[in-house]
Amino acid sequence: MAKDYALFLGCIAPNRYPGCESAGISCSKKVGINLHPLKGASCCPAPGAFGSIDLNVFMAMAARNIVLAEKMGMDIALECNGCYKSIWEVNHKLKHNDDLRDAVNEVLKTVKDPSDPSGKSDMEFKGTIDVWHLIELYYDPKVCGVEKIRDSVTRPLTGTRIGVHYGCHLLKPKKERHFGDTENPMWIEELVAALGAEPVQYRKKMQCCGAGGGVRGYDLVHSLDITNEKMINLHEAKVDAVTEVCPFCQLEFDRGQIEIQEKFGKFWGLPVLHYNELLGLAQGMSPTDLALDLHAVPVDPFLKKIL
Amino acid sequence: MARTKGYPDPKLETKLRDRYLYRTDSNPDFSKKVKDLSRTVSHMCFQCGTCTGSCPSAPRSSYRIRLFMRRNVLGLEEESLTDPDLWLCTTCYSCTDRCPRDIAPTDVIMSMRNFAYQRGIVPVNFLKTVQAIYQSGHGVPNNDVNRAARVRLGLAKDPPTTHSHPEYLPGIRQILDHYKVKAQADKIVAESEKKGA
Ligand code: SF4
Ligand code: SF4
Repeated sequence: MAKDYALFLGCIAPNRYPGCESAGISCSKKVGINLHPLKGASCCPAPGAFGSIDLNVFMAMAARNIVLAEKMGMDIALECNGCYKSIWEVNHKLKHNDDLRDAVNEVLKTVKDPSDPSGKSDMEFKGTIDVWHLIELYYDPKVCGVEKIRDSVTRPLTGTRIGVHYGCHLLKPKKERHFGDTENPMWIEELVAALGAEPVQYRKKMQCCGAGGGVRGYDLVHSLDITNEKMINLHEAKVDAVTEVCPFCQLEFDRGQIEIQEKFGKFWGLPVLHYNELLGLAQGMSPTDLALDLHAVPVDPFLKKIL
Repeated sequence: MARTKGYPDPKLETKLRDRYLYRTDSNPDFSKKVKDLSRTVSHMCFQCGTCTGSCPSAPRSSYRIRLFMRRNVLGLEEESLTDPDLWLCTTCYSCTDRCPRDIAPTDVIMSMRNFAYQRGIVPVNFLKTVQAIYQSGHGVPNNDVNRAARVRLGLAKDPPTTHSHPEYLPGIRQILDHYKVKAQADKIVAESEKKGA
């Protein structure tokens, strides 16, 4: 039976890589996940920027987004690790800490809900929903599962070698999350193999992309040097593409490669694809349907292997 | 400054001389404040260095998370909050996953950044995100190239977020104003632009 979720979009997917958004919606529909737009949602807010300046405002802003979904009576699904950090973590914290929840509700009390014609302000965090990353819903046999993903494939990505970048904020900190091992997880590799591609292990797979914590904005070359280390390790493993589940990691890897060329004089030309984009290709969507032309690093060498 | 023990035998005075570290700039309240905001047992750090060993920022800079953990225990507020390295943590949480004392060093850094911000010490890129969200609801707002691409994909030219529903913006501004972050951001950004000009 199909399941319904409120789709929390965030910023970078809809505003920089819209293919992630359209693929997310149409691919998940094929595996029994119906996504409904979360009207009036904002930035999650960016956990690096907001968490660094004021943890209270960070929680209140995230709570407002959660309350919008509570009002729809649906769990949230999203496709960005940064959003996961804000929305999942704040939902979890507010459910388990009365003092934090009270402080947030004190502020939300003053916020009007524009969809409420009576004009009564009613934006209270109640803790009635859960938050999921689409990738965990794909993997969860109770919702979708690897088999269903495999069955949805019409154009297997046979003959391609793909490195998986998990990113940080989906799995870590592991004590608060529910994904188990964070040193060498292999479950996204299973989802990549289900598309017919060969998942490839590489050195320091779990290293950060370099973008987080505001570092990309604060010290770009520092951030890019971390990215460059990922590129070296992926290149060494002879991958045809790197896949991730976070549009911010995607931005760092994709646009970052252009910046690496400018700053360090080295061009890697490694195609970067969000798992939803990969899934879209494997389900027969065209590169145009996925707006892959918006990628800074051409995806063509990868496409040549599968089209 | 080490204290003298006043032992009459100068040999013993030398052998047993006070080796404690005394810092006049230590503020014990700082450690407490950090612990309360970060909600992690930051005072339990035994300086093993596992955090720095796990840190992607360490091998390419002078940033040492273990040093900040020590400063925290010693209450070295000034040294912590004015060190530009404070802003080099990518919040990857590797240190948190590996700390044998079950501390979350990442959250210690985040609370120190909060305290630095309160004193007006904060890189402007953090504040520009606040300003962007106040303006549009998005940290990374839409643009024309992207709008055209969205339409090609059969999506609405603006996503169904605050971009298509600006009636939700006053609520967001209400939250940001409640914590006075927009005013603080405007002030610091203006000051830094004046300095830069
Ligand atoms: S890993 Fe934990 S105990 Fe070891 S130095 Fe870092 S914070 Fe302290
Ligand atoms: S969370 Fe920050 S301090 Fe900890 S390992 Fe990552 S970058 Fe280093």
